[in-house]
Amino acid sequence: MNLAITIWGNRVSPVFDAASTLLVAHIENRMIIDKSYTAFNPERTSDLIKLLKKKQASVLICGAISTKPAELIVESDIKLISFVTGNAINFLENFARKQIIEKAFMMPGCSTQYCWRQKSR
Amino acid sequence: MANKKRFKPLTGETTKVILECISDGVFTIDYNWEITSFNRAAEEITGISRKDAVGRHCWEVFRSNMCEKDCALKKTMEEGRPFVSTSGYIINSEKKRISITVSTSLLIDETGDVIGGVETFRDHSLVEELRKELATRFKVEDIISNSDAMKNIFDILPQVSESDSSVLIEGETGTGKELLARAIHNLSPRKDKPFIAINCGALPDTLLESELFGYKKGAFTSAIKDKPGRFALADSGTIFLDEIGDTSPAFQVSLLRVLQEHEFTPLGGLKKEKTNIRIIAATNKNLTELVSQHQFRQDLYYRINVIRLSLPPLRHRMEDIPLLVDRFIQKMNMRQGKFIQGIEKKVLQAFMSHEFPGNIRELENIIEHAFVLCSEGYIQLNHLPGFLLLPPDASDKKDNDPVKSAQIKLITDALTRNNYNRSAAAKDLGIHKSTLFRRIKKLGMTL
Repeated sequence: MNLAITIWGNRVSPVFDAASTLLVAHIENRMIIDKSYTAFNPERTSDLIKLLKKKQASVLICGAISTKPAELIVESDIKLISFVTGNAINFLENFARKQIIEKAFMMPGCSTQYCWRQKSR
Repeated sequence: MANKKRFKPLTGETTKVILECISDGVFTIDYNWEITSFNRAAEEITGISRKDAVGRHCWEVFRSNMCEKDCALKKTMEEGRPFVSTSGYIINSEKKRISITVSTSLLIDETGDVIGGVETFRDHSLVEELRKELATRFKVEDIISNSDAMKNIFDILPQVSESDSSVLIEGETGTGKELLARAIHNLSPRKDKPFIAINCGALPDTLLESELFGYKKGAFTSAIKDKPGRFALADSGTIFLDEIGDTSPAFQVSLLRVLQEHEFTPLGGLKKEKTNIRIIAATNKNLTELVSQHQFRQDLYYRINVIRLSLPPLRHRMEDIPLLVDRFIQKMNMRQGKFIQGIEKKVLQAFMSHEFPGNIRELENIIEHAFVLCSEGYIQLNHLPGFLLLPPDASDKKDNDPVKSAQIKLITDALTRNNYNRSAAAKDLGIHKSTLFRRIKKLGMTL
């Protein structure tokens, strides 16, 4: 399983709409096996979606995100975990191990249900 | 003594009450970037409660586009000086982008020690909405204008678009002829069909004919297979023939035949092909003059000149400059990921005293030039190309007539207040528009 996360230094980027770096992690047996970094332009959501598909990333993790790009991403069959905060690697390791979003990694004012979105079937 | 009692210093409690009453969001941080206070307006603007905000890192709560790259609070903490009115946006708890301006300064306690930073921010979403609404009032498709000359075109554009008649657009280079042609197409019943633009002046005759009519395999040495021309590609749509005045007499004959018979023959072809297209032609030349000089066919002129629209040069619609500048800044901010807020007053004055021979395209290029040199805030004079340097200020000139100087100042101030809209400035001054024009001329003012 490949996960993508927008990053700012070693943290999750606080605002997707202004982020510029994407970390794609390959997870196997609940562990991070491989990582790669790539630049992207958040204003071009369709290009990002193409990039995620190319990298076979089925989940995008990010900080605060505005409605428009969030909807485009979810509509493209990519699970969106937004309003996430904290150390990016710690989050990924924790998420890979437990498959849940712990309260400590949520931005204030968010609930798990609010943060995690995927296309309704 | 009584006075001293009346003006006793505010207590901490009073300051808290004031902070709760103001409509600007205010939060403070310590040296760990953790929020130490968060006022009521900050709660309302961000949608995050004080209880949730205090103790969290500021970027987790404030969530601004400035956090990563251009944090004003970080600059204040590093440089020890305040920053005022930096523009940006935040993402609130409802995932909405809220336009804001922020001001930052150091947080200093009563002993003079720096204990952190303070940021105040103002919700500008209502201003943005109004600005957008205002912009759409002066906008048809991609054309923006508030001038009377353009308003006349805007008024008839729906009827022109609805009809299927040929249109001739006249206007100097850079006045937006193609934009107008696209607008006509987009508002027409042919809008879902192709819009094909071709610059007739850029191609030699033979190439122009093969581009427009296409060719058949074997028509010439390198014609190894059939190639459809622009007339075929634009079928049922609109074809825009720019710089029609620069075409040769021979080409004009071929074009006239297509317009009369609604059919054409590809180069090297034997069979005529039917075409159903609308023609919009444009020129920066005076076609009537070219006709009288026998450089343009009269019969073709009448064919394309069913409806004629004349785009005014930018120097005749100077009141549009602020609108256009705003538009180009928005466009380039978006394209380049910058947050340039606007232009300084002196830059607007420089624009207003420039003739703009290249019209709107020249203005756009100037803004693009300024974007290279200006990284944030407002575009200043030193960001402009050299040729735009302001002429000496009128007030520096020795003028012994104080009445004349006062009149010039009165008119200049009214024009500035009204974004160089002369009708509005005349109304502001309580005089008729024609009186204002007369006075401007009489006073020898250059606008």
